[in-house]
Amino acid sequence: MIAALLKVTDLTVVHDGDGGERTLLDAVSFDLAAGEVLGLVGESGSGKSLLCRSLVRLLPSSRLRISGGSITLSGRELTTAPEAEMLAVRGGEIGMIFQNPSSHLDPVMRIGDQITEGIRFHQRLDAKAARAAAVDILAQVGFPDPARQYDSYPHEFSGGMRQRAMIGAALSSNPRILIADEPTTALDVTIQAQILRLLMDIRARRGLSVILVTHDLGIVAQVCDRIAVMWQGRLVEIGEKRGLLAAPAHAYTRSLIASHPSLPEEDMPAKAEKLRTPGAVPVVDIEKLHVRFATGGLFRRGAVDAVNGVTLRVMPGETVGIVGESGSGKSTLARAVLGLTPVSSGTIRFDGTDIASGRAVLGMLRRQTAMVFQDPYNALNPHLTVGKMLAEVLRVQGKIETAQIPARCGELLDLVGLGRAFLDRKPRSMSGGQCQRAGIARALAVDPKLIIADECVAALDVTIQAQIVELFRELVERMSLTLIFIAHDLAIVRNLCQRVVVMHRGVIVEEGRSEEVFSRPKHAYTAALIAAVPHIDPDKPLLAPSKMATPQADGVAN
Amino acid sequence: MSEPLAAPALGRKGRFRRRGTLAAGVFLLGAFVVLALGALLIAPYDPIAQDATARLQGPSWLHPFGTDNFGRDILSRVIWGTRIDLKIAVIGVIFPFLIGTTLGTVAGFFGGIVDAIFMRLVDVILAFPFLVLMLSIIAILGPGLASFYIAIALVGWVSYARLIRAQMLVLKNHDYAVAAVSLGFSRMRIMFRHLLPNAAAGSVVFAMSDAVLVLLNGAAISYLGLGVQPPVAEWGVMVAEGQAFVTTAWWITLFPGLAIVTLAFAFSMIGDGLADLFGVHE
Amino acid sequence: MHRYKFVLYRPLQFLPVLFGISVITFILVRLIPGDPARVLLGTRATPEAIARIRAQYGLDEPMLAQYFYFLRNLADGEMGRSILYKIDVLKLIATRIEPTLTLVLCSVVLSVLIAVPVAAIAARNQGRLADQVIRIVSTFGIGFPPFWLGLMLIILFSVELAILPVSGYGNTLSGKLAHLVLPSLTVSLSLSTVLARSLRAAMVEGLKSDVATAARARGMPESIVFWRHVLPNSLVPTVNLLAVNIGWLLGGTVVVETVFALPGMGQLLVRAIFSRDYMVVQGVAMVFACATVLINFLADIVTVALDPRVKL
Repeated sequence: MIAALLKVTDLTVVHDGDGGERTLLDAVSFDLAAGEVLGLVGESGSGKSLLCRSLVRLLPSSRLRISGGSITLSGRELTTAPEAEMLAVRGGEIGMIFQNPSSHLDPVMRIGDQITEGIRFHQRLDAKAARAAAVDILAQVGFPDPARQYDSYPHEFSGGMRQRAMIGAALSSNPRILIADEPTTALDVTIQAQILRLLMDIRARRGLSVILVTHDLGIVAQVCDRIAVMWQGRLVEIGEKRGLLAAPAHAYTRSLIASHPSLPEEDMPAKAEKLRTPGAVPVVDIEKLHVRFATGGLFRRGAVDAVNGVTLRVMPGETVGIVGESGSGKSTLARAVLGLTPVSSGTIRFDGTDIASGRAVLGMLRRQTAMVFQDPYNALNPHLTVGKMLAEVLRVQGKIETAQIPARCGELLDLVGLGRAFLDRKPRSMSGGQCQRAGIARALAVDPKLIIADECVAALDVTIQAQIVELFRELVERMSLTLIFIAHDLAIVRNLCQRVVVMHRGVIVEEGRSEEVFSRPKHAYTAALIAAVPHIDPDKPLLAPSKMATPQADGVAN
Repeated sequence: MSEPLAAPALGRKGRFRRRGTLAAGVFLLGAFVVLALGALLIAPYDPIAQDATARLQGPSWLHPFGTDNFGRDILSRVIWGTRIDLKIAVIGVIFPFLIGTTLGTVAGFFGGIVDAIFMRLVDVILAFPFLVLMLSIIAILGPGLASFYIAIALVGWVSYARLIRAQMLVLKNHDYAVAAVSLGFSRMRIMFRHLLPNAAAGSVVFAMSDAVLVLLNGAAISYLGLGVQPPVAEWGVMVAEGQAFVTTAWWITLFPGLAIVTLAFAFSMIGDGLADLFGVHE
Repeated sequence: MHRYKFVLYRPLQFLPVLFGISVITFILVRLIPGDPARVLLGTRATPEAIARIRAQYGLDEPMLAQYFYFLRNLADGEMGRSILYKIDVLKLIATRIEPTLTLVLCSVVLSVLIAVPVAAIAARNQGRLADQVIRIVSTFGIGFPPFWLGLMLIILFSVELAILPVSGYGNTLSGKLAHLVLPSLTVSLSLSTVLARSLRAAMVEGLKSDVATAARARGMPESIVFWRHVLPNSLVPTVNLLAVNIGWLLGGTVVVETVFALPGMGQLLVRAIFSRDYMVVQGVAMVFACATVLINFLADIVTVALDPRVKL
């Protein structure tokens, strides 16, 4: 290997609190060669973002400081460099892009000006030359009409285009290293593939070194040369990707790889099909459902069909997955089924009864269905302890006697694998995974026939995701539940659900048995969706290069 | 950022400053309450007794805040004024708070036509400058404190209602509110047990800054001669009475004004302290 | 430019509010106990005048009809006569607009000139001494009663230093401005504390925001991060706050004009209330309300100009 471009040795970052120092980064060492792509993986709180920020000395709080170790960039020490020199390093030598382009781009500044800013400051070009350079960069990152789009504002673009703009801003000062902190986490899977391809193109064209932070092992397997694993502020393992994925040394790396939801091979044996009574009444029977939302104000009325003619049946005991990208209408469909969103036309029957036929039916629906939400914190009332929350549900539902409520609360926590000590805890003092378990306990408190889980693992770390999916699998088995599981992660749905429904722009484009749909997709959209999932096996490359990097599906939003 | 970057609990110094602001505010307000309740014992003179021999005297050991043109002791009048002005601030906040919170909760939760009508009413009332509408109502009802209380109940609820309504609109789309609907909870239960407690923190904080505004407006209306009537000792009235002597006997206006500023400061500090405590941004 | 199309149709949306304003002003006067004709004309009115006003306002007819008479008169630009000044109410008000308008403008400009630098200093030194001092001073400032603050400023600048006139209004431009210095200062010392607090909070958020982090990561120095990214983003909520406070500001002029004997609409309102000149009370309240609606409209335009995301 050539001499390292960036060399980090025993980098330690501490937090000065009242209770003394707390070590957040513990003697992290690694180096980065010119042109190399290093993947940095780890769960939330492992310190991977903090590490990236420390490299350019942009610590997020004044209570944090680098207490030891060194960072050398082409032989220059950065930990002790004066601030003025760091200004030249940031952007000029090390560029950064972030997870959420919507919040990192200045909403009141034109896209082009945000790129020009760096060019003018670092390269001292005049306004005209800087503008020309910025237009050139916009073209490089895939803006189809850069001269015109220079003057647009960030909100006028889709998420994918915003991420392209942010990459453009990072490239504006010709850095040699690009740090990409979860650059595709907020994006749909097909857009993610485009952005990753763009990053690799740029890296090849400019000979950039890249540090790619991600929680998705599939992404590192696909695009990185080496992988570094972080755990509790320490870099526990680093190595060439094939070797590391094949023979992980650290226990955490092993559990990370084991938890990674992968699409199984085509010839995997079909799941044991549950016996279905012929002629049984479907739990949910949706016919030609339309849900339309009004948009605009008094003078610009419009409407979008969030759900545009959906027909779907779910039989008792079935586990059905609904997949699709953001805006496909899958969440709206779920809310309509639970009677939480008014329906424009079509019918929804629950257990054979039309749910639009009166308050009594709605009441019945409320006592036999329950929902699990995406954001575990947002889904729980912050003022109530878990025990009070469950007791209230049991009391309102009135299915068991008051005297038995406390005992039942305990049982529910057992079911979801939370200790009874959690009865007195409030959501704020619990982790995301624990909150999600409490949310599932609340759903079970209804003793429902049907549970709809809406992206309920999307906000969780991979290892926690795997646990929650496992919990659902157990509960479905044990309690003969019917489950509608909505997710954008195809692998999770493939692993959990017998049947899958693919939604795109408000319509169902394909449905069928999971193994059938995933191995032999009939619809082009399903195929594209499956092809865009980065596989953990580095030898199964992501999409053919020719199809990529052209922002077609991902055009200007308005 | 992909992960919460070190959001450690507030340091001891920070915690102290929060609690310190709140405690100082409560202490100061407590002092005013003591003055108001114990005015009879604490005030050295009768607030309305005139003394022709002691007119327009500057601050001295006998009269620490001086005397006015009737020879009345300013310190005693400021102390007795606490009773009236504290009452103005408290009563002037409680009624708007209760009316506004109830209406705002209902409008925000139900939305639709109820909300539309409600918001038009709010728009119309807000179109009138607060003090102008207050004065117009008082003009009809006739000067006096009772008119002031009626006027503020008619006008002041709007801010609370708007605040709570906006909160409710956000909260009712939170997943826990949707969950509550899907679990078959009644509307009353969702509205008052689940949403209102989460929405109320903002209004409680606002009530403290509103107390400042009500105090200032009450005193201003009395200053204009439309609220509390002389010879009752009220701070706004006292400032008005001192205005004619502002070039010669500054103490008549200075001290009641300082009393208003200090009481307002107490409310502001409590408001700031509560905002920190609840994590509410104004 | 299509983003500014709302300037054309937005006024239509004011119609319900204007309707509401007319209803409230109408009701205000009708609520006064006693014979409405006597209320409107005062106790010394002649029988002829009373007969005339009964016909003009339909005072013998039902309330709803009276309201339509009221609207018709309004459409004719007819809002009655002042008992005290013996001229048309609208003409009377027209002579009083200028001092009030100038006072409001000067106060807003002065407040922004005070608030922006103060907030910037506080936000950029968050938690340090400068910030603490500004925080405490502004917490005090909110509680300053304008009528008292005005008197204190008179004592300081007009009596002790003798550099500014005590009260009244000039005839020449420079004379007018000299008379407006203290009133504007009185209003803006209160207003700027409110603005500065909000602006500081927005700036502190802005300095911690992702936008600022991204700019720093591009190697931008703090000064560019602050002035080019943080400040423009902080102005939007502050303009909204200013718009919300306009009603409060206009109300404040009533008191300040009385303190400084400025012949504006506020002073007119107070005099009218004392002399039971209800036609004038009604007219001033209505003009103030329409002014608030207009100023909020202007604030909408400024918001759209400052924030490209806003569509109205």
